[in-house]
Amino acid sequence: MKKLLEFLIRKRHWFLFILLEVVSLALVYRNNAYQRNIILSSANVITGHIASTSGYVTSYLNLREINKELLERNGQLELELLELRDRLDMMTADTVTFAGFAPDSTEQFPYSFVMAEVVNNSVSHLSNYITVNKGRKDGVAPDMGVVSERGVVGIVSTVSDHFAVVIPLLNPKFRLSCKVLGSSYFGSLSWNGRNAQYANLDELPRHVVFDKGDTIVTSGYSAVFPAGIIVGVVSDFRKQHDDNFYSLEVKLATNFRTLNDVRIIKNYRQAEQLDVEREAKRND
Amino acid sequence: MINNLLRGLLYFVVFVLIQVILLNNIHFLRIATPFLYLYFIIKLPVGTSQTQVVFFSFLIGLVIDMFSNTPGMHAAACTLAGFSRRPLIRFFMGKDLPEGIYPSYKTFGYGGFFRYVLSFVIIQHVTLFLIESLTLFDPLFLALRVCASVLMTTLLICTVEAFNVESQKSGE
Repeated sequence: MKKLLEFLIRKRHWFLFILLEVVSLALVYRNNAYQRNIILSSANVITGHIASTSGYVTSYLNLREINKELLERNGQLELELLELRDRLDMMTADTVTFAGFAPDSTEQFPYSFVMAEVVNNSVSHLSNYITVNKGRKDGVAPDMGVVSERGVVGIVSTVSDHFAVVIPLLNPKFRLSCKVLGSSYFGSLSWNGRNAQYANLDELPRHVVFDKGDTIVTSGYSAVFPAGIIVGVVSDFRKQHDDNFYSLEVKLATNFRTLNDVRIIKNYRQAEQLDVEREAKRND
Repeated sequence: MINNLLRGLLYFVVFVLIQVILLNNIHFLRIATPFLYLYFIIKLPVGTSQTQVVFFSFLIGLVIDMFSNTPGMHAAACTLAGFSRRPLIRFFMGKDLPEGIYPSYKTFGYGGFFRYVLSFVIIQHVTLFLIESLTLFDPLFLALRVCASVLMTTLLICTVEAFNVESQKSGE
């Protein structure tokens, strides 16, 4: 203790020196705007750097949310587009037939979307299935169409409370009514069971004019998908053996290997349409 | 003792006045300002305790700051310089100096006094200008200013020392 005190007294000019330096620097800092700005701004450089780094990291963490929002928005816009296109088609059709037609303002576009996330997926089996995380509680029912942001995915087959199983295009059980964009003739699309990128469009009449690279869209006849949703593009075609139909190889627009977010299409008139069709068949 | 104190006070007042009235207005080519007031610290008696030297250095720096509206800058630089005064004297002149003598040409010799003044001024000026600019924004210009001011201050201090009647008497 005594030694410590002695040491402190012997070195007292050190303490005085440090004290006075601190006082001077405090004065510099307090009274000179320039130095204060410099110190604050170099502090800002550091804090700004840290903030931007953490922002950079957290922006990655938030990408999921942002992506979901964007998909949601994209879905809304696509829905709007389909609705407007539908209305436009109706109007052009009406102007041809009867110019004085006033469309019913209570008429609603019969489709709406439910966003869902893929929780299970396969592309390598012969019959592939996709499981998504939306179910009966979210208003999903069997026979609803499923699309990704790129194009058609499949049809809901089984539904539980919180999950739904989708039969994708990559399943031989699923046949989709399609047409070449710009023509009204339709064919039936099915998977060839080999490559997850390609499917075959059969039963397309021979006189339909098309070329490689033409877009294949849904026909809208099935009550599952609205007309005009992209399925893929023509990559190759050849005549079928019975010589009356073309068989087209279609490169699918949806990449099933990286499928993550999908939209389930609700069509509240689907039941009605199916009822009518069933009745027509029974009467036949 | 009383004599010493009075002499110190006189030095203090005279050189602070010269500094703030005359020399603070000199900005030679806008780069160099002589800081003659350091002469006060340089001329403190050799035996003065470190505590006193540091304290007086801080005090004169603070007074200069008050007059030249640069609170703290001169005080910080002078405190550091004052703190390094005894090590400098020991380094250049050795430990065997008699206590109580004033640093001058006679006591230190021309070369010794000049080296002592130069190193002291360099320490003070580098600190001062670094605190003033605080960034190495324009390092060449900063170095130029420091060198020019060091040159002017040293020159002025040596000149004043050469004409100082008192030190010629007391050195004997």
